[in-house]
Amino acid sequence: MARSDDLVQIIKGCKGSEAESFEKLIDIYGRRCYGYFYRLTGNREISDDLLGELFVKLVAKIGSYKGGSFEGWLFKTASNLFHDYLRSKQRQRKLLEVRKKQFESEVTESKQCGSERIDKLQIQLEKLDADTRELIMLRFYSELRFKEIAKMRGEPIGTTLSKLHRGLKKLRVLMEQ
Amino acid sequence: MNAQNEENLKELFERFVDDSQAEGSVEDIRKGDEILFEHPAPEPDKELIADIKAKTARAVLRRRAGGFKRRAYKIASVAAVFIVLAAIGVKLFESGSRSEGFVTASIIPRAIWDSNNIVTDDEDLATLTAEIEQIEGELLALQLGENGRNGYGDLVELEMELIEIDSDFWKG
Repeated sequence: MARSDDLVQIIKGCKGSEAESFEKLIDIYGRRCYGYFYRLTGNREISDDLLGELFVKLVAKIGSYKGGSFEGWLFKTASNLFHDYLRSKQRQRKLLEVRKKQFESEVTESKQCGSERIDKLQIQLEKLDADTRELIMLRFYSELRFKEIAKMRGEPIGTTLSKLHRGLKKLRVLMEQ
Repeated sequence: MNAQNEENLKELFERFVDDSQAEGSVEDIRKGDEILFEHPAPEPDKELIADIKAKTARAVLRRRAGGFKRRAYKIASVAAVFIVLAAIGVKLFESGSRSEGFVTASIIPRAIWDSNNIVTDDEDLATLTAEIEQIEGELLALQLGENGRNGYGDLVELEMELIEIDSDFWKG
């Protein structure tokens, strides 16, 4: 993770339309944002598209960042992008089809190749409700505090804590099965 | 997980549940996090990252070009406003000075403004002055009887005629 001073300079550079600063931003947050998208979609191709869209969108939107938690702002943008994506009916249908195929192939693959660790988590995550899954992924990849996550989601901190606790507990049970 | 490591989860939970429950909840979250750490999501390909960087650089260039265009349009529009205002100003100034000349000419003759002696330089006024002087001279000659008649008698006669005209006028 970049030091906050470095990050301030990088963001300043991004606001000044410096391509190098955006490259640094991609190096810092690319993996985390990709993980977030992948765990929500379960599909690499879609995650590739969303990650590309996110950073291109940041070029236009960086001016609207007025300070505060940059991770909060970034993952809020990523979350909005994911929801826009889901709202697109055509894409949603595609996602469901891809997910179905992938689910079938991954179950077979996990049995055959022994790479069940990653796949098993993805399969069990699918069993959680969409909101809880998103909350778990948002906290894990954004590395934000509960207070910030609750604010971002527009709900009391107690609700966020309770949802996350129940979700992670259920995920553990599912993973131990 | 810097920010999260700094966060005291137990303290947070204790705001809503009792001490033992809070401890259990923190433990559940810790174990849940462990599962997520043990099962990392795949990483983006290097080609993908390079492609995104290239796309971002193009977007930055477009944005810069757009910014330059916006600035150019702004400068052009401000310049246009100045030109229009200047043109209107010149037009108003010209029409203002023309109307001033017209008013001056219509009320007072230019000769009067330019003259040091109005009576001699203004033609109409000179004629009028000469006529008045002639009438004055004739009237004086009449009073003094220089025209060979009794001046006083003529004046009385003229006065009588005027009274007569006046009374005839009122009689209809």
